Amino acid sequence: MTESRPNPKALLIGSPNCGKTLLFNRLTGLQHRVANFPGITVEIARGHMSGLDDVTLYDYPGTYSLKAISGEERVAVEQFEAALEDPELGVVLCLVDVTRLEKSLYLALQVTRECARAGKPVLILANMIDVLERHDIHLDLDGLAAEIGAPVIPVSARAGTGLDTLRERVRQEFASPQLPRRSGDEDDVLLRGTSHQLARKYGPKGDVLLKSQHRLDDFFLHSAFGGVAFFVVMYLLFQSIFTWSAPAMDAVEAGLAWLSDQVVPLFGYQLARDFTADALFSGLGAFLVFVPQIFVLTFVIGLLEDSGYMARAAVLCHRPLRFFGLTGKSFIPMLSGVACAIPGIYAARSIDSPRRRFLTYLAIPLMPCSARLPVYTLLIAAFIPSGTALGGLVGWQGLAMFLVYFFGMFSGLIVTAVVSRWGSTREADLPFVLEMPAYRLPSLSPLLRRSWQRCQHFITKAGGIIISVTVIVWLLGYFPNYGEDLGASWLGQLGRIIEPVFAPMGLDWRYGVAILTSFLAREVFVGTLGVMFGIEGADENMVPLVAQIQSSDLGIASGVALLVFFAIALMCVSTLAILSREAGSYRLAVRMFLAYCAMAYVAALLAYHLVGLFGA
Amino acid sequence: MTVSLWTLARGESGAIDHFDECLPEAYRLRLLELGFHPGESVRCVQAPALGAPRVYQVANVTFSLDDDIAGCVHVVQVHDD
Ligand SMILES: Nc1nc2c(ncn2[C@@H]2O[C@H](COP(=O)(O)OP(=O)(O)OP(=O)(O)O)[C@@H](O)[C@H]2O)c(=O)[nH]1
Ligand SMILES: [Mg+2]
Repeated sequence: MTESRPNPKALLIGSPNCGKTLLFNRLTGLQHRVANFPGITVEIARGHMSGLDDVTLYDYPGTYSLKAISGEERVAVEQFEAALEDPELGVVLCLVDVTRLEKSLYLALQVTRECARAGKPVLILANMIDVLERHDIHLDLDGLAAEIGAPVIPVSARAGTGLDTLRERVRQEFASPQLPRRSGDEDDVLLRGTSHQLARKYGPKGDVLLKSQHRLDDFFLHSAFGGVAFFVVMYLLFQSIFTWSAPAMDAVEAGLAWLSDQVVPLFGYQLARDFTADALFSGLGAFLVFVPQIFVLTFVIGLLEDSGYMARAAVLCHRPLRFFGLTGKSFIPMLSGVACAIPGIYAARSIDSPRRRFLTYLAIPLMPCSARLPVYTLLIAAFIPSGTALGGLVGWQGLAMFLVYFFGMFSGLIVTAVVSRWGSTREADLPFVLEMPAYRLPSLSPLLRRSWQRCQHFITKAGGIIISVTVIVWLLGYFPNYGEDLGASWLGQLGRIIEPVFAPMGLDWRYGVAILTSFLAREVFVGTLGVMFGIEGADENMVPLVAQIQSSDLGIASGVALLVFFAIALMCVSTLAILSREAGSYRLAVRMFLAYCAMAYVAALLAYHLVGLFGA
Repeated sequence: MTVSLWTLARGESGAIDHFDECLPEAYRLRLLELGFHPGESVRCVQAPALGAPRVYQVANVTFSLDDDIAGCVHVVQVHDD
């Protein structure tokens, strides 16, 4: 923009949960994670500002001050200090939450001082102005600006107000000559006092903004109702994955069957027909069916996150989790792990105690992530009747899903409980301080976009692996006898080698092969089975995989053993990679991989015999 | 006479007096940064069962603190009517 800055940069800093990422998304058109809970952003993100295309905008993790306590605060503070020395940095945008000035102003004053010392202009953005307008509250932002010594621009990241003014100001800052460095000698004690006074003088008066929050908290944190509400919310979450997505899953299945009926006969060669039907439609299709579930899961978790309920859940869970060696702050990483372990592991950065963070790492891979969902759904649909009880309120399959999910989470907690008591180094407990966000109506369109993005990610990430695996599995299973006899194929021969490993659970070689391929990605299990049953089925009409499993003679004990195996085994390469990175060593990841696979095997064997004992 | 913040029942308020030695320095500063200034009034707005962290209101913000930290904050109880 100016000659001196070929790559102009601007950065967005502020206290946790004040709306930085939502504003960043608005200004760049990107879709980074926004949630109503402090400590969501843990990495610096960047993007081009729309309307000011040559300016790169950086979104920072939130921090309450320039003295960091937790991991993501450290990222923000260290990077901020480094950025101030960067000649390309043209303006610092410091976001404050105007509804909660007292938590934001101290950082704003510190940032203003550091910017003065470094000769960088700073703009204070008074975010959430829409909330004040809704309550008809007017603040003297000009007065505040005069006292801080920096311009204050009212904005609403949610409603999108004030963004044009903001862009104009940013443009002006880049066009104006560089500021001289000033001494900026106010110390932190003085700034704390000043921020306190300013918040009192300029902040919203009275309790209006907190009234509805108190009323909802009276219920959600109530000694009795609070606990009940927690279980109802969690139960609805799991039920929704099953019941809400069922129609869409049926539609995808029917659509694929129709398409297969149209496409397959078009091929002249038998070989090509078999390949399309068995590898493409049975293999890939078996996995595409689960996209609606991934969507619903991400969406419902997003609703919970954006509503502000998660912070309450963290409070309610703190005591029980402490018993298992964790903290209430482990709740969000663990629940994020229900969607996918990777964001869960990142989210664990906001846990200030290193030991509890380590224990949370142990628990996350056992959270029932969405890659397990296709496997669970398939097995549950094959073994559990689809009826309902209590007048349609409780579906058996939903209940079974709840139990499998619960089993995974509970195993995670058992592991952390054992490990936390094992270790001799019992570090002093770090205190639990958590800001309680306001309750908000979730904004639907960003959530829908995010859920869709997850599905795309699911399709492209897993899709590549799944295509390669299904093709290889199909080739191995089809030759040398052209699909006449799966058992005698190369795959069958290979399967016989693995068979003894899983035979003690009543699983034949086909399941052994499917489990083996699922070490590339859990979802591959479904695709591999699809291909194998597709070759065996030999007809060109698609029979749903569930029906084929039901007609194969797999007992319920083996089904339960499979569920247990998948609930525990750590089979995700990306999780292991991220774990090594975040924990700073690959040793933890390798150990966890070995331990969880061994544990999964033993537990599956136990489950097989237990179910067998009870006469199924 | 001061009492610890943790002893305030739901609905009760206190004015912050001082912080105990047992509170790690980083957290003492953090509380100050969050608005827990000496003299400032703090109200216990929620006290869920079973020793869960309680929710305290300072000015316009609510924070949840567990007994480890609330037990180290000393307040002069204020009886409002
Ligand atoms: N009403 C209203 N809500 C907002 C506004 N800006 C953000 N929010 C909400 O505030 C919550 C936090 O938003 P984020 O953008 O995740 O906040 P952040 O500052 O990036 O948070 P961290 O990354 O955790 O530090 C979300 O629920 C947003 O929907 C706003 O201007 N008005
Ligand atoms: Mg953020």
